[in-house]
Amino acid sequence: MKLSTKLRNSGAAALALAVALGAAGTAHAATTLVETGSSLLYPLFNLWVPDFTAANPGIQLTTTSTGSGAGIAQSIKGLVQIGASDAYLSDGIVKKNPGMLSIPLAISAQAINFNLPGLNDKNIKLSGPILAGIYSGKITMWNDKAIKAANPGVKLPAHVIIPIHRVDGSGDTFIFTQYLSDSTPAWAHTVDYGTAVSWPAVTGGIGANGNSGMVSAAAANPYSIAYIGVSFSDQAAKAGLGVAKLKNADGNYELPTAATVGTAANSIVTQTPPDERISMVFAHGANAYPIANYEYAIINTAQPNAETATAVKTFLNWALTSGNDMKYLSQVHFLPLPAAIVTLSKTQIAKIH
Amino acid sequence: MKIRPFRLSLLGLSLFVPAALCAVVLFLIIYSGQAIVFNGLGFLSRITWNLGNLYSDPVTINGIQIPLGANYGILVFIIGTLASSLIAILIAVPLSVGAAIFLAEAVPELERSRPRWMPPIRPALSMLVELVAVVPSVVFGLWGVAVLVPFIGKYLAPSGNGYGLLAASIVLALMITPIIATTLLDSLMQIGKENRESAFALGATHFEVVSKVMLPMVRTTLIGGIVLALGRALGETMAVLMVSGGAINILPTSIFSPVSTIASFIVSQLDSAESDPTNMAVRSLAEIALVLFVITLAVNATAKLLTSGALSVRNRK
Amino acid sequence: MSVTVNNQPRFQALALRRAIISHIGWIACGLGLLLVIGPLLDIVGVVAFNGISAFSLKLFTTTTNGTAGGLLNAIEGTLVISAGGMLIAVPIGVGAGIYLAEYGSNKLGNTIRFLSDVLTGTPSIVLGYFSYIVFVTTLGWDFSVLAAAITIAILIVPYLARITELALRQVPNTMREAGFALGASEPAVVFKIVLPGAISGVVTGALLALAISVGETAPLIYTAGWSNYLWNGKLTNAPIGYLTYVIWTFIDQPDARSHALAFAAAFLVMLVVLAINIGVRLIIRRTKLT
Repeated sequence: MKLSTKLRNSGAAALALAVALGAAGTAHAATTLVETGSSLLYPLFNLWVPDFTAANPGIQLTTTSTGSGAGIAQSIKGLVQIGASDAYLSDGIVKKNPGMLSIPLAISAQAINFNLPGLNDKNIKLSGPILAGIYSGKITMWNDKAIKAANPGVKLPAHVIIPIHRVDGSGDTFIFTQYLSDSTPAWAHTVDYGTAVSWPAVTGGIGANGNSGMVSAAAANPYSIAYIGVSFSDQAAKAGLGVAKLKNADGNYELPTAATVGTAANSIVTQTPPDERISMVFAHGANAYPIANYEYAIINTAQPNAETATAVKTFLNWALTSGNDMKYLSQVHFLPLPAAIVTLSKTQIAKIH
Repeated sequence: MKIRPFRLSLLGLSLFVPAALCAVVLFLIIYSGQAIVFNGLGFLSRITWNLGNLYSDPVTINGIQIPLGANYGILVFIIGTLASSLIAILIAVPLSVGAAIFLAEAVPELERSRPRWMPPIRPALSMLVELVAVVPSVVFGLWGVAVLVPFIGKYLAPSGNGYGLLAASIVLALMITPIIATTLLDSLMQIGKENRESAFALGATHFEVVSKVMLPMVRTTLIGGIVLALGRALGETMAVLMVSGGAINILPTSIFSPVSTIASFIVSQLDSAESDPTNMAVRSLAEIALVLFVITLAVNATAKLLTSGALSVRNRK
Repeated sequence: MSVTVNNQPRFQALALRRAIISHIGWIACGLGLLLVIGPLLDIVGVVAFNGISAFSLKLFTTTTNGTAGGLLNAIEGTLVISAGGMLIAVPIGVGAGIYLAEYGSNKLGNTIRFLSDVLTGTPSIVLGYFSYIVFVTTLGWDFSVLAAAITIAILIVPYLARITELALRQVPNTMREAGFALGASEPAVVFKIVLPGAISGVVTGALLALAISVGETAPLIYTAGWSNYLWNGKLTNAPIGYLTYVIWTFIDQPDARSHALAFAAAFLVMLVVLAINIGVRLIIRRTKLT
């Protein structure tokens, strides 16, 4: 009896302590914003939060990483104010929820990394059809004639390729499979694109969890290949992985750099519609890098109250101006939005009420 | 019959447990209803899992809206779940029985001859074992990726790839060992002196006393612990997700093949399924959860049958 | 580990064989313990090393700011959610365990026991998903303490019930009979004789349950949400942070600062549980002495 009383008392004490701590938190009323979604955008949001909340002490901003699908779904349901997504809203969702906006916040890209003993300092050239062949099990050896043809003079090993894909739903999978779909009709007809796709059965293929998991799996498995978001390119380099040059829509092989991703972004600026739902993947331009995309905030135009609406607008406008500073973006290897896109985004932001 | 308020209130409390279970199951059935109709029985025997194109207009099949090309089959995940959990139990049971026996019987003996300055070993060791139970799943996963996977890849797997069934099973085994070991240790220490002493008096060696007298006495507890552990293994998500190699659309051919388990698959797909405007993906995930539930039901029913003999033997002293 | 020596040769051979088997048995058992402890020491070592190097006063005094700042909000959130879950689960779980052990040797008891085992086997992500649909969206509680605490309670109740029952069943019947013979009522026998007799088992169960609630991630992701700020005292419609979220999410971030926070959180989770563990053992020892 004595023990149970003690336990009960200590439980009550813990709760009382918690309530006291909680009460301290409510001392000054602030507007609370919650962001959830894309794991690609999450590191950037985390860089933004300290400076944004310092500049706007009346707004509390919480960021979470759940995946683009969750970001979209929870923003529509009103569970969060800001949904983060690597993909713009689909036609189906927009038709069902006409009040939902897709607002680009920054530009991201993805590297194709490989682990080829002895060749990791060479930028092997790969194309969409080659990658589609590897990930669908049609190209199984590193010295396959298609890879040889793209890399004259490189001594490719006669070794089985280990393709690594994400097991968790991911924006990285979305833009990678979009590149395969745009460049390879056979892939578009069978697997298509999405944050999680029905990967063809490839003997020896591996699924890894998260971008960190992709880096670990590629590092642990010689002769593997992986698609990894540019925010992890420092990790990939540290793990000794090679970076591939990718064939773009104009037929040139390019590395993911600020210049090549910038070309891709500039080439679609003029085509971007007012609702800004457009793919940057496989964009035209002589030196355009083929796997780049807008990172979106998914916002409901109708917010629960005026204060929340103002806070959301304040944050989005801050993200497009101060937040697009290279001091944040360069840490995750993102690029700022072109001025024309910022204008389009601001027009969309003005609709929030 | 006499009304006994004390018993009735205890019964009332204990009915919360099945009530919670029924609520969960009922919700799963209602929520996945449309998916059950659409997927049919082939759900269990198909190998292909495809969410379909979530970005184009949905199509209508038999009056049910689904994304274009959607096809839900979960045989791969059922096999991955069963295989990884069973191998984990095979590894964990001898380990935890050994560890519990050692802690309960050998350590006190060793302690008798310990020098004064040494702290008591058993509380420290058993605490360490209990600590395994609270190491977060993710940390096990990290350890698996950093230590276990490279080890398997380097020394065991012919393909050189450490991610797969074996890695998942070993991580699971490590996670469930303390559950079995602590329940067993507790009941081993409850066994009365007279039982042990009468066995010693018959001339049995210490190990014989432990293995032939004490262990059979705690058989029920052991099986209870294994069932608890199996429950944990079947439902473990994060650690398995990180080391299992995440197979999809392909069946395992060896102990080194990549696999996926149902629980880890639900976690990994939920994000993407939520962007399905027809909701069929989320409903199908609820149906998978239902299948996992049925599997645990079957496991428990089997365990019940196996122990029914053991249960009739009173182990009260 | 004594061996009975007999003068007759065939007994000697038998005794030798038995002694050898005994020794092999002990070695195998010790090996089992080593194989459990070895990886554990490695895991604990890695977490402790990385966790301690990330420790600072700031960790306990400031809230998370992006992936910077401290863990105060997460520490508080884990306390609140676990305390809430235990408050709901302990009376139900222990009550159910008592019922099953004392009066549950019938069909009804078997059914409850069976369903409780099935609930144990229900994966935490399924429970979390159930709560997400029912509490978070349908009932409109949003991400909240209540949704998280109820989910945790559902998760740990069957463990508590089962382990309480197992512990109570180890109490000899003679003790119950002695109690009744002295004219004690049913509640008195249960609370004054049986429960104290089985208290170490019940506490082990409660500890396991608490450990599970502190260490769980999957059921909280879709019920508690996450917050960079301290709990505002609201039971519903306010997300709350928790330590395992930090471990789960920050470990997959590209920067070293996030990793440090993740390991600090993992180390904290282990420390908290170790502290509870030691504390409760001391309490038990004192209760036994008085």
